[in-house]
Amino acid sequence: MKIVSDLLRQADPLNDDLRRLDEARDQIRRTVVTAASVARPRVPRRKAALGAAGALAAALIVVGLLVGLGDRGTLRAAVRFEMRLAEAQPIPGLIVARVADSGRVIYLHPETIVTNEDIAQSWVIQDGPDRFSVSVEFLPAGAERMRQATAIHLGHPVAILIDGEVVIAPIVRSAISDSAAITGDYTRAEAERIASGVGIR
Amino acid sequence: MSGQPIVSALAMTVEERPSDRVAALFDAHHQRIYRLARRLTARADDALDLVQETFLRAARAPKSVPVGAEQEEAWLVRVLINLRRDQWRRAAVQRRHDAIAAPQLRAEPDHGPAVIARTTVWRALDRLPPRRRAVVVMHELEGLAVSTIASQLGISAITVRWHVSAGRRDLARVLASRHGDYE
Repeated sequence: MKIVSDLLRQADPLNDDLRRLDEARDQIRRTVVTAASVARPRVPRRKAALGAAGALAAALIVVGLLVGLGDRGTLRAAVRFEMRLAEAQPIPGLIVARVADSGRVIYLHPETIVTNEDIAQSWVIQDGPDRFSVSVEFLPAGAERMRQATAIHLGHPVAILIDGEVVIAPIVRSAISDSAAITGDYTRAEAERIASGVGIR
Repeated sequence: MSGQPIVSALAMTVEERPSDRVAALFDAHHQRIYRLARRLTARADDALDLVQETFLRAARAPKSVPVGAEQEEAWLVRVLINLRRDQWRRAAVQRRHDAIAAPQLRAEPDHGPAVIARTTVWRALDRLPPRRRAVVVMHELEGLAVSTIASQLGISAITVRWHVSAGRRDLARVLASRHGDYE
């Protein structure tokens, strides 16, 4: 009789796999610490504002904003953000688009999964000395739509559009839920513009 | 006067920045969390994703992480296993969908006996539900005592023993169906 415990120890992937952690440690640490250092979420602040005095103040602010933006009629995002499912192969009814950096052609589904309306917060992440990307975190409803859409889209691309341009179209390896990274080799100024712009609804 | 009240007073007056807390949390626990994640997943990349997501949960709500090394570790382990369980459920749905949509025969690559044996063991592990797999890994590979596992997972020692026993039985059954008798 062979012993299951012995087999498990012989087959342990850590026997030759610890170096992968060494290679990725710094990047993961940087991502995590950056996420923790971001000025924190709108949701708690919004809840706090819903006290008796806060509700009145919020109503006055909304009125003020609408009056101030009367010439435009609606509130508009400074940077238009959307995510759509996409395909690598042409399918009738899909929209042809080109990924900004690589020039790769993809085919966009007409429906958007999430937009600026679904973003809870966004922040800049430094990928290298002069390279920056943007991370966005979705509100629960948007996260759920992302999860449902991407869970049945594994192995196919999902496109992130900034101001109507496909900036990145990664292949979905596992269902995406509450956050996404926009890695576009941006300068700090560009990344900050996107991070602050996408959060405006 | 003992030292305890002074420590308590300091903790109340000096508020740690969230990023410092999370950095310290990462430095103290990332190796342990990676070891467990690696043994719960099929690929190193998946394990690294799990590690990052686990610490991001702490980064988004640092005040929800209890204070103290053991408590921190237990909190992180539970988050990790819950994340893995969510992935496992989604993958199960996807597998069912794939099986219905496009049943396919997959050829096994031509590997040596050692690789085949290792692959067989880890495929058998993949069939265990995440919490049971975590208990088996923590007990058999990490050598943790039943009481420690119970404490880290927030379950009773009886439940841990049951998972260990059932996990061994499940593994033996899967392995025996392919390569003979195991216990």
